This record gives sequence, structure tokens and C-alpha cells, in this order.
Amino acid sequence: MTRRIVLASLLIVAAVGLQTTLFADLRPLDAAPALALLVLMGAGRHMLERPALLIGFGSGLLLDLLSESPLGLWALVHTVVVFVVIRFRERSEDDPIILGFGVFVLTAGALTLFAVLGTIFGEKTLADAGIVRKIVLPAAYNTVLAAAVLPGITWMLGTRRRSGWDL
Amino acid sequence: MWRPSWRPSVDRTVALFLGLVFLSFVLITVDLRAQGAGVGGSLRDVAQTVFRPVQNVFNAVTDPIVGFFEGISDLVGVRGENEDLRQEVARLEAELAETEALQARVRELEQILGVEPPDDLESVTARVLARGVSEFDHIRLIDKGRADGITVDMPVVDEGGLVGRIVSVTEHEARVRLISDPTVRVAVQVERTGETGVLTGRGSERMVLEMFNTDASLLEGDLLVTADGRFPAGLSVATVAEDAAAEVGFSLRTTADTTAELTRVDFVRVLVFTRDDTSSDDLSDLETPVEVPLETSTTTTVPQ
Repeated sequence: MTRRIVLASLLIVAAVGLQTTLFADLRPLDAAPALALLVLMGAGRHMLERPALLIGFGSGLLLDLLSESPLGLWALVHTVVVFVVIRFRERSEDDPIILGFGVFVLTAGALTLFAVLGTIFGEKTLADAGIVRKIVLPAAYNTVLAAAVLPGITWMLGTRRRSGWDL
Repeated sequence: MWRPSWRPSVDRTVALFLGLVFLSFVLITVDLRAQGAGVGGSLRDVAQTVFRPVQNVFNAVTDPIVGFFEGISDLVGVRGENEDLRQEVARLEAELAETEALQARVRELEQILGVEPPDDLESVTARVLARGVSEFDHIRLIDKGRADGITVDMPVVDEGGLVGRIVSVTEHEARVRLISDPTVRVAVQVERTGETGVLTGRGSERMVLEMFNTDASLLEGDLLVTADGRFPAGLSVATVAEDAAAEVGFSLRTTADTTAELTRVDFVRVLVFTRDDTSSDDLSDLETPVEVPLETSTTTTVPQ
């Protein structure tokens, strides 16, 4: 289990690194994928429930620390995303259509949740005139990238999982 | 031995989830109350310092990839080449793309060295290391910080005009909040008429210009420069995108395009300028700046 936690953590750090560097320049239609979210979903499919929640919270906290949003905002969003993943992962097993649809809905839902919470907490996120595009395009890009990223994460983390903290 | 007849059926995963959600709300509340300073601010500085090597590595690794795709996009318009030339292009494509990307950066740097900030201000040239972590972050991370004389609130420009202002500084990096951020408002003056107004960011869309108590009209292409507020006066900010006239002599509202190309900022200049008396709500953005002491820096003076 420790190996999976370490691997998942490294994957998320790498995703954040790519998101803030490579996808700063590669931005078709002026938007980029939410890679950290995608990797988190992929890791959440194969990790034990409680470590997955902690990884989600930690990855969100990392985004909070690297951004100007209130500390805890991304942590909250990522925690919710992982919780949804671990609750529904059995139903979407290996079905590419459901997986793709799930990635799109979860990414869009997570970004919407962030925008709404950000506005509630004074960030004026919803005042962004391109808000719909900034939610839909990353979700679409994540859906496309999921075809390569999710199998890669499955290969790295393996498919075995149990509930709770069981080793 | 007696045992209770029922056991609380607490789903520990749900309990942990609820605990983390609660913790998140606590963190948000504490951070908002501290207004970005305090422990949250210190943790951000540490995280940024620790994460910088990671970003440097990814920058180094991904630069050729970016150059390749930029080269591809440049080649899209080329048609009618014969087969030999296409084969030659294919062979040299990767090398050419990388070279073009480097040349573009050199040109941009040369252009930016030609920027003449007003009032003999000193400036520090910096490279953009990374952008914000999400589409909602109107932030750029630059490779100069406190050690180079940069402090919070300093204006940031590129060859086009005003880009944003410094919102946090560590020893060797600083974060720039772009003027397109919806929380940012900039006091501007119409260069043609001298009337003042307020520009408000709207994310990736055009900025909104509002002018009050005016009977002047604006023409498409009118240049808007900074008024004497948080930023030094006279910096190019935007150009009016649509003609507009005041409604019943009271107010005027139109849109404007930034003169700086905010989506493709690679090099910037930080103007060594701070003003402590920007208290007017109309002339400042909504954040509370964090005071950071000015230290000895390695600044460059721009020839006028």
C-alpha cells in the first residue's frame, strides 16, 4: 500500500508540474486540461478508500499552496472528487464509455464546484466571462487524455484494492 | 461476558471524508481571515520554493515539445511544397521548431529590453516560469524575487504594456496577478481625451471600461493608459474595443483589449515602483497587499 501511496503522490506532483509548465504554452482554444484532477481520478480508482481520500486532500492542498486561492478550497474540491470516485468506481470498471463520461462529468463538476465556492469566498470566479469555456474545455481535454492516462495509472498502481486501511 | 446489543455502524470512510471537508472549511476560514498572510502565506512561500526545482525540470524537459508544436502550427499554412521539400522538412522539423522557439524568445527579450517605463524607473527583467495551477488562476510565476529587489505591489509590464502586479514574493520568485483577474481594477486615462475611468478584469474575455460623470465618447482603438493610482501614470493598458457614448451624460461602459498579450507572456519587466497611499477603492484592486521589506537588489536601469 505504501508503494501505491508514494507512486500516486509522485504522479500528482508530476501532473501539477506539467500543468503549470507544459500546458502553460500548449493551450488549444486558450484552455488546458486539469491534469492533476485526472491523475487523482485515476489513482482513486485503484487505491484503498481512506488513503485515497488523504491523497486527494493532500493534492488539493498542494494546488492551494501553489495558487492564490484560499487555502483549503482545492483541498475540498479534490476530496469530494475522490469520494465520488471511490463510491462509484465499482460501477464503471473497465467500461471506456462510462469512464470517459465519468471523467468529463467529474472534471466539469469539480471545476464548477471550485468556481461556486471561490465566488462564495470572494474570489469572483464566476465573474470570469469565459467561465463556461474554462469548465467545458478542460473537461473535454481530460476526457481525451483519459484514454492514455488512466490505463497508464492502472499499469503503474495495479488493480488490486480493498476497503479501509487493509494491507 | 456482556456485550452491547448494538454496534454503531459508522462508515469510517464517510467519517474521514466529512472530517476532511470540515478541515477544508476551517483552513479556508483561517486563511481568509489572515488575508493571505500569516501561516498560509508562509506555507505558500515554502511550497513555491520547494516546488520550483520541479517546475524547472519540467520546463527543461517540455521546452522542446512546446517548440515542436509551435513549429507544427507555423507549418500549417505552408502548402504546395514538392515531395523532396516535405521530406526535408520532416527531417529537420524538430530541430527547426526548437530553433524558431528560441529565436522567438530572443526577439521577445530584445523587444522587452526596449520598453521604456516612465519617470526613469528602474526595472528588473524576469522570465515567466509557470502559470497558475488552474484556469481560474490569473497568476504567473516569475524567476526574480526579493533578492532582486522585487517587493509586493510593483507593476509588471511587457513590450505591449501593463501585465499585472506583484502579489507575493519569495527570495528568488514572485507571483504576478494579471490585470485580467476579475478581482483587479485599474484606474486608467483615455490618452486622446484625458478622461479617467476604471478597467475591470473579466478573465479571458475583454476587460470592461467604466467611466462616470462623463459626456465624452470613446472610439475604437483609443489608447488607455494608467492614471495616477496604484501604478505609475502613463503605462499602456488597453485599447477600446467598441465605440461608446455616455448614457444621458452620466456613465459610459464599453470593452477594451489589453495591449499586452496576456496569454503569451514569456518575459516581463518589474518596475521598481511602489505607492503606499493608494487607498481609494476605485483605484486599486481588492486584495490586501502583504508588506515585504525591500532589500539590496541587482536591478538594471533602463536607458531613456
